[in-house]
Amino acid sequence: MSNLHFEGLTKHYGAVKALDQFTHKFESGQVHALIGKNGSGKSTFIKMLAGAILPTEGQMFLDDRKLEFQSPGEANSAGIVTVHQELSLVPGLSVAENIYLGRLPKRGLLVNWKQLYDDSRSLLAEIGAEMIDPRATTGELSIGRQQIVEIAKAMSLSPKILLLDEPTSALAHAEVGQLFALVDRLRTSGVTIIYISHRLAELPRIADTVTAIRDGTLIGSVAIDKASPKIILDMMFGELPPLQRPTRRIDKTVSALSVRDLELAPFFKGVSFDLHHGEVLGIAGMLGSGRTELLHTIFGARCADAGRIAVKGKTVSNPSIATMKAAGIGYASEDRKASGLVQSAASHANLCRVGQKRIAPSGWTNLALERPFVDKQVAGLHIKIGDPMAPVSSLSGGNQQKIVVGGLLNNEPDILLFDEPGRGVDVQAKRQIYEIIWDMAARGLACIVVSTELEDLTDCCDRVLVLHEGRLSAEFLNEDLDPKSLYAACMTGDDTGAAA
Amino acid sequence: MTNTHLATQLRRHSMLLILLALYVLVAFTARGFMTIDNQLNILRNIAVPGMIAFGMALVIIVGEIDLSVGSMVAVSACLTAWVVEKASGDAFEPAWYFVALGIAVTLCFAGFVGWFNGMLRQRVGVPTFISSLAMMATLAGMANLITNGSAIEAFPSWYYIIGSGRFLGVPVPVYLLAVAFIFTFVLANFTTLGRSIYAVGGNMEAARLSGIDIWRTKKICMIIVALFAATGGIIYSSLINSGNPTIARGMELEVISAVIIGGVSLFGGRGSIWGAFVGVLFLGVLINAMTLWGFNPYAQQVVRGALILGAVFVNFYIDRK
Repeated sequence: MSNLHFEGLTKHYGAVKALDQFTHKFESGQVHALIGKNGSGKSTFIKMLAGAILPTEGQMFLDDRKLEFQSPGEANSAGIVTVHQELSLVPGLSVAENIYLGRLPKRGLLVNWKQLYDDSRSLLAEIGAEMIDPRATTGELSIGRQQIVEIAKAMSLSPKILLLDEPTSALAHAEVGQLFALVDRLRTSGVTIIYISHRLAELPRIADTVTAIRDGTLIGSVAIDKASPKIILDMMFGELPPLQRPTRRIDKTVSALSVRDLELAPFFKGVSFDLHHGEVLGIAGMLGSGRTELLHTIFGARCADAGRIAVKGKTVSNPSIATMKAAGIGYASEDRKASGLVQSAASHANLCRVGQKRIAPSGWTNLALERPFVDKQVAGLHIKIGDPMAPVSSLSGGNQQKIVVGGLLNNEPDILLFDEPGRGVDVQAKRQIYEIIWDMAARGLACIVVSTELEDLTDCCDRVLVLHEGRLSAEFLNEDLDPKSLYAACMTGDDTGAAA
Repeated sequence: MTNTHLATQLRRHSMLLILLALYVLVAFTARGFMTIDNQLNILRNIAVPGMIAFGMALVIIVGEIDLSVGSMVAVSACLTAWVVEKASGDAFEPAWYFVALGIAVTLCFAGFVGWFNGMLRQRVGVPTFISSLAMMATLAGMANLITNGSAIEAFPSWYYIIGSGRFLGVPVPVYLLAVAFIFTFVLANFTTLGRSIYAVGGNMEAARLSGIDIWRTKKICMIIVALFAATGGIIYSSLINSGNPTIARGMELEVISAVIIGGVSLFGGRGSIWGAFVGVLFLGVLINAMTLWGFNPYAQQVVRGALILGAVFVNFYIDRK
């Protein structure tokens, strides 16, 4: 038996409660689906169970044994093994070496290769993956097979509890079937599986129960035969508050941006749409749907294979970041740390970077010259900074996001592209950022917002386009906007029933 | 509040404080240290590594490195002498324009090498650590090749002025050091290019998405450091009145360690020209003091090595904060 039991499990990050009073019991020998939006507290829960972070308070039990992990290694030896979303295999090593990485069988000082390959072969056979050769180079296998090797590696630790974090997100259809057969097999052998997925359609096939977390709180748990798509979506999103989006006058006489038949292999194809002054347009799509690539192409950071982009009626002949910037487009990156801000630099420098040429057209500059541009954005966007010369890394996520936007505004753009503007900021800061976007739109700027968090789009946008498998597959206007139908559209096919 | 302010100020200027402490220590223990002559001597000695350090600071801030500066100094000295010799037909007192030609050819060559290093980084993705290492060997080889391994003595009699002349009592190289300092300081602090250098070094992708031409920025830094190294080579050729392929061997180590001691982050994006100057002066004062104290020259090398290691530790420690 291996029942997993949680008593008041809580994790605080400063004042933010990532997970609050999680009390639940996962029955032995079943597949438990764990669902929740991004930032719901799901991954915090997983990390605590995997021993990657310590709970602030509360307790975890495996059967009657209390679990307290200082490291993932301790979780492993207690029988709890995690297969992470990103593969953690060494591509240059053989399958067998990957499975027993750090635990290679030895004879004296040397590796006992025969035993290694024999053990690996029997382990792979045990999980029904005889077709994988333990001597094969891991990096040469398909992603699906690598995923199976990852699970074999987990199984070599003989786990009682197996955590699968979005195992299907990178898999093609046929490979998903293989994976599910493997999960079925593990369940029969008595392993308790906690299965995290965004693909709600696959849950009835694989899960026994569905458990939902929302805003750090356990919403509930139902058996899969009682979990209709509507119930699942309600658990994930809750009853939605009415929209408070201001109605705006959208000037449809001229389109600020028109995109025609834009193509960038292998991300998207035949993308056409118009964006008007004063409009906030959302682009929805799941991870890997090509959203970011689309924005990058419009902004000139990637070179399109085909199609054309016109700004204010004028086709941009050779799109590059420089020409698109000059045409009046600003791009707020999805990742403030990796590409949005220079973290080591001061808020001051980050506010002046994009608009450098506008602030100091002669090429000569100094702090006094730049100061008014810094002050203007700090005041206008209500950015809370103590010292503008302190590194921007010391600011909260919300304020960093405002620095990104402020930096763009210093270049006086006509069109703003926001890639995941709400990522990693708290609810209040998110609201403020939307208010800023609305404010920009009210001043006649055209905005595009891209987000995985569909509620953000329905809250913020006048119109939402759905990008699915590289094509614009649906359009939602003002009144029809609600996250549930949008979610269904993003998944397409399988979840259409949920739209009602 | 004021306490933490003081603490950050102290940390920011920690190297300057250490330098001042060293000054006080040496002033009281080494005879002849605190004379104007000796101070000018220190400045003259650090002139060449100093100006290269300013260029190197830009290169490291922009997120690259140039290990070929020592060889560049040597090949520049030789190339200048070689051009003068060939162009003037081995005249006993070559005309000034042959010297000017030699200097011009050398600077063009250096500029090309800097550009080429940047180009390799852009087009082939070769890290400058590797390409400049290869360049270090290549340039050292070239210096030997054109001189046939021995010094070329081809300069006119007035040529000594560049390296050993004085104006108003101050050695000419010190003026050149000052010019290099002002040039790089203004570039780093008062131009949009300077802002771009910090942005590119701090986060290349963010800089690119901001519309900054990151490769142009990197190339300019690579060219500047090569030009300063070439200028250093010309100064040295004047000091010893010949083009000698064995000079400045290992100078890249001295320059890079000075820059790091001066608080320029090896990860890029952080540091200052002023810091590089403090680092260079610190090394210069230390070497001067050790000589005045009568240290064994081999022991001096050990002390310098230990010091560089210590400075790198401090640098990493501050970076991780």
